[in-house]
Amino acid sequence: MEISRRRLLGLAGAGAAATIAGVLSGCSSTLPEPNVAAADFGSRARGTVTVWTRSATQTGMQGIVDRFHKAQSDIRIQLTPVLDAQYVTKLATAIRGGEVPDLVDMDDINSSLFIYRDTFTELTDLVNDLPYRDKLSPGHLALASLGDRVFGVPFLADNSLLWLNTELFDKAGVDPDEATQSIESLREALPRLTSAKDGIYAWSFPGNGQGALGFTFLPHIWAQKADVFHGKIGSQTGYVTENEPLRQTLEFFRDMWTQKCAPPSCFSDAATHWGSDFLAGKIAIFPGNYAAVVSAAPKSMLPKLKPVVIPGPGGGRCFFDGGDNLCMPRGAKNPSAAWEFAKFTLEIAQQQSMPTGGYTPIRSDANTASFQKQYPLDTTPLQNLDLGYAPQSLAYNVAINQADGPFLAMFRRAVFDGDVDGALETAQTGFDRLLKEVQA
Amino acid sequence: MTAVSTRSERAVSPSGPAPGIQPRRRLRDSLTHPRGTGIVLVLPAVIFVTVFVLVPLVVAVYISLTDFPLIGSYRFIGLTNYISALTDPAFGHALLYTLIYTAIVTLPILVLGYVLAVLVRRRRRGSTLLRTLLFIPYVVGLTTLSFFLVLEAQPGSGAVNIVLRALGITDGQTAWLVSGPLATGLICTLVVWAVSGLTMVLLMSGMQGIPSDVYESAAMDGATWWQAERRITIPMLRRTIILSLIISVIGSFLAFNQFFILTAGGPGTATTTAVLHIYNKAFVQLQLGAASAESILLIIVTGLITAVQFWLLRERDSGKGALR
Repeated sequence: MEISRRRLLGLAGAGAAATIAGVLSGCSSTLPEPNVAAADFGSRARGTVTVWTRSATQTGMQGIVDRFHKAQSDIRIQLTPVLDAQYVTKLATAIRGGEVPDLVDMDDINSSLFIYRDTFTELTDLVNDLPYRDKLSPGHLALASLGDRVFGVPFLADNSLLWLNTELFDKAGVDPDEATQSIESLREALPRLTSAKDGIYAWSFPGNGQGALGFTFLPHIWAQKADVFHGKIGSQTGYVTENEPLRQTLEFFRDMWTQKCAPPSCFSDAATHWGSDFLAGKIAIFPGNYAAVVSAAPKSMLPKLKPVVIPGPGGGRCFFDGGDNLCMPRGAKNPSAAWEFAKFTLEIAQQQSMPTGGYTPIRSDANTASFQKQYPLDTTPLQNLDLGYAPQSLAYNVAINQADGPFLAMFRRAVFDGDVDGALETAQTGFDRLLKEVQA
Repeated sequence: MTAVSTRSERAVSPSGPAPGIQPRRRLRDSLTHPRGTGIVLVLPAVIFVTVFVLVPLVVAVYISLTDFPLIGSYRFIGLTNYISALTDPAFGHALLYTLIYTAIVTLPILVLGYVLAVLVRRRRRGSTLLRTLLFIPYVVGLTTLSFFLVLEAQPGSGAVNIVLRALGITDGQTAWLVSGPLATGLICTLVVWAVSGLTMVLLMSGMQGIPSDVYESAAMDGATWWQAERRITIPMLRRTIILSLIISVIGSFLAFNQFFILTAGGPGTATTTAVLHIYNKAFVQLQLGAASAESILLIIVTGLITAVQFWLLRERDSGKGALR
């Protein structure tokens, strides 16, 4: 064996070059789109369907999968839970690697990111053919669409509402309906609902939990038809310094904090014990969701609860149209069976079982008399589907849901430090910078 | 030796090759091993380094010259990512914060590690148990300790606040992890406690390698304990101290786990380190091209800092100007 140093280095270099070429050629991200136009697509399919579900809504999906397995035996669902915080990254990595699940049950707010990058299968015709197409949650569908093209279907709703402890309202002599008309009416009611000596506070919010905070804070602004993202997806800028509803809402929270209408724990609350103070009967108004309130509340508390849609500074109402969409990544290996399962999840029976997992149906026709009787506290969003909203943006995850994003920094500086102007100016720069980066 | 040997080159006769003998062939001959043995021996290491170090590095450099997103297509954009990184105030802030954090923790880790090494260097009863106890935080690891600290730093209910309240220092309601300076202080304390065990072990090994007769001679000359430390131990530990410092500085400069778990870089970007910034760029913003450029810059900065350390700590009296 005779190898010179030069030859050895040459061989190593050639090997490295070949490996690099292999690595980079494997980086092609456009996977083949399944043929969804086939005549028997979505019926009489067989085999295994791999489904990813996010951990926050895993309970809801597991229940549906169990029902599906009971109902038929041709298709088996292989469910993989993925941590919410890692979902986008893991799915993006899977797409880049070319090994995708057949169906993804994902936070609807993140749908846009993948749709915009052309990684999901277009389902427009299939969705339009659904007999209950016009009953589906418009907010969810908007997040699953790009223009007129649809890339997913709604699966479950997880909406933010104001949950009122009517017993505390009665004790304070405050009318719940009048007090929750607008931020101005709330501003007047909060001191009356607070009794610090008894440990009772008017409001509770997770001041260090950006995800839950965005979920409950932003609807105040949306109620006024404003948003922190401005423009068409792909060419958006931040809308912060000139955003009057945003300023008014921040000032409302600032006043609430300085007047001690919210407990001191709000300062550091990262939503790890979200709603526990409300469930302990110490909070009059809790901005939260059905799962955190009704699913967790003791039975004795349920009659005292009243949900209302979140009001804006000058009136108007809105709730976060959160929850999950089902999307089919390009490259899905068993798309027909995946669509069959997706259709199953949308059937009325499955949708009406959503409250058992802590969620809300995404079909307005699920709000039947029997449903209202069985789940009286889960009907508010269904009765007000047109008030639901969630922004279409490529930057929601980075700007709102991250601890180092501009939203949390803005909120904390404005509310806890009292520097509303400075907070808005810094946030404007942060939103613009992130949007420029993710839309590049 | 093998074809790549330099020893065989030195073995060539100064008078030159004999007539009729191929000199290049003789250069490759070995007296003790068949030809190619060396190649075979180093080949696994060469393959390993090529596949796991060189190829990823070259790929990273290539990706850094593109707008490579985690999803979607990419194109070559030259040095744009580098220019963006160098003008990005967030990356600059993360680098500055990392430098400050490194500056804060480096000396305490060394001093505490030295003090602990002095405590446990002698072989006496209980010293092994003491060494183990002091080294356990390092074995448990910063990741696990950070998860513990998330709970123990909670206002009102965490052990940190309970102890401080019991000592009358605070009211027990301090929100450590939502204030940049407080979170930095807490993380620095955690890191000094957890990592000084490694420095202790390194320095202790060095101390145990110093011949005892050196100390005995010093004692006969009337040297005090402090004089022995200053004139014998520290000079003879010079290289071990340099090694400890370099390990500590590089580790601090690449800090990630404790910040990711305890603060996620917040509040705002107050505790965002360079690696955490790069992680967010790659896996939250999904911009691998930009993140790769920042990684390459971080490698360069880390290399420069290490080089400066070598230069500052060089053995000046040897006149060689380098660590040997």
